[in-house]
Amino acid sequence: MSGIEERIERAFRDAGVVGCLAAIDLDDGRLVGVRADRPVVIASVLKVPLLVALHRQAAAGIVDLSEQVVLRPGERTTGPTGVAVLQDEVRMSLRDLAAMMITVSDNAAADTLFARVGVETVNAVLAELGLHRTHIPGCCRELFDTLLADAGVDGMDELWAVLDEPGLMARLRALDPARTARSTPEEIAQLFAAIWRDEAAPAAECARMRRLFGLQVWPHRLASGFPFDDVQVSGKTGTLPTIRNEAGVVEYPDGGRYAVAVFTRSLSTASVLPRADAVIGTTARMAVEHLRAPGG
Amino acid sequence: MNLVGHLECFVAVAEELHFGHAAERLGMAQPPLSQRIQRLERELGIRLFDRSSRHVELTPPGRLLLEEARDILARVDRIYSLAARARLGAVGTVRAGLPAGLGGPVLAALIEGFREHCPDLRLELRELGSAEQGRALTEGALDVGVLRHPCDVRDLELGPMLLQPVGAVLPAGSPHGARAALHPADLAGREVVLFPREDAPGAHDELLAACRRHGLDPSAVHEARHPQFALGLVLAGTAVALTPRTEDAEGAVWRPFAGDPLALRTSCAWPRGRRDPVLERAVEHFTSIATGVLRRHAGMVPLDRSTARRVVARPSSGFLA
Repeated sequence: MSGIEERIERAFRDAGVVGCLAAIDLDDGRLVGVRADRPVVIASVLKVPLLVALHRQAAAGIVDLSEQVVLRPGERTTGPTGVAVLQDEVRMSLRDLAAMMITVSDNAAADTLFARVGVETVNAVLAELGLHRTHIPGCCRELFDTLLADAGVDGMDELWAVLDEPGLMARLRALDPARTARSTPEEIAQLFAAIWRDEAAPAAECARMRRLFGLQVWPHRLASGFPFDDVQVSGKTGTLPTIRNEAGVVEYPDGGRYAVAVFTRSLSTASVLPRADAVIGTTARMAVEHLRAPGG
Repeated sequence: MNLVGHLECFVAVAEELHFGHAAERLGMAQPPLSQRIQRLERELGIRLFDRSSRHVELTPPGRLLLEEARDILARVDRIYSLAARARLGAVGTVRAGLPAGLGGPVLAALIEGFREHCPDLRLELRELGSAEQGRALTEGALDVGVLRHPCDVRDLELGPMLLQPVGAVLPAGSPHGARAALHPADLAGREVVLFPREDAPGAHDELLAACRRHGLDPSAVHEARHPQFALGLVLAGTAVALTPRTEDAEGAVWRPFAGDPLALRTSCAWPRGRRDPVLERAVEHFTSIATGVLRRHAGMVPLDRSTARRVVARPSSGFLA
């Protein structure tokens, strides 16, 4: 049998993506990696460090998670889900905004929390956790602004129309790990490991975060690789044109727990690519099964 | 010690003032970068950076050396540039990649056109898949290529994008072969043969997706690099070949699809960034000659931008979902 890395590589290739993966056994720290230390565009996975920073501030008494904030239409960051798609004024607690941000990747909720926590704080927390290759330059709105500016268009729907123009993709800062929210698969897997081991924040805060990742709604990526009723898949997706990511933790009934982070970039600029979504789950399962194999 | 390599690291860190950013720029991991800076500091016997705080700052001696280091790197670049020119001047070769199956007449016209415009240079053509060309271009093993899209073009510059309609090769006697044009759904459930996925995975996947979109869900997909192999499968009645227009062979005919629902996207590509001016001119010539030849001899047309691509946003694939 060929090596696990080679088989994962082949699965990525067959799905038409370039993929990077890290899977860590939470209990003994063993790692399966394919380009696990390569800088990657994390997209909405950036909401994970924000969530951690928010809960550390709550534990330190800097913010009160039950505090209510008002999000007015017209002032909110746009997005395909959550409060970002609503039409009227919304009043919500910080912790409920966090729930929206993680369970449906709500950009309006995320940017409200970014404004409260501060992007410098998020980066400082990453540094404290020893994740030196993870960096968040700004909030969701700022990322959108770079997309529109780099593409020379006025709206996100226009962006899709010009995406195939020669050279355009290469100009988008949001798709260049050196110039946008970035990390490595290994560091994101370590971040999830820290949340599951109660090391990212006090234990009660980590438990709250774990609950939210378990409530994430998307079935098409990480979860699709584990079609088992007794296996819990918790995670957070990340999506931008050609970028499909998900990172999280897979928990088996025998107590086995695995932090997995998969980052892909597709050759095709198509918005809908089910194979590219599914290979995230497929490769995650290959890595986890390798870690679970007797003597593996 | 490889002083040039270490100076490159020094300049990158001095310009970024951030080890992580500099490491990314150099395409290396951070720990080896830090080690290189430390080794350079030991070699020179001075501290180049002040890393006492969270910030990285140049020390006064570091500032003094920065200009000199930049100068050395610029001269090293010049050595490479002169070498490239010597290679072009002495050997006079431009290395170009082409996808398989463009056909003899296209190659002949390309070589003839290049000979006419660049009589001093020799054109070395290699038949390579798009994925392999992309790698060869970024590694410097090719000067210019002709790529099937979509493929990874992050480190490449592209020439004009061309569209090449794809039709079907059928047995001459078959009922569909008697028609002037087909619809993909006419071939529903048939086995098809097309270029190997390995050559251009993005284009292969996109072509099959377009087939399914238009009602042709093949019962099997065969891969053929050589047109004769594809023809064999057609003549045996095993499969229909999906390919850009080809000359009709004995016993087989090529038929277009009405409205050209299936097409391949093609463009010239070359590595982004600084390069020798002589090579630059040669690549420009190649691109304009190849683009012209592909239009005249391979039925390619400039990609029409007036029909904007339509994307219905879905929440799961929306921006920052």
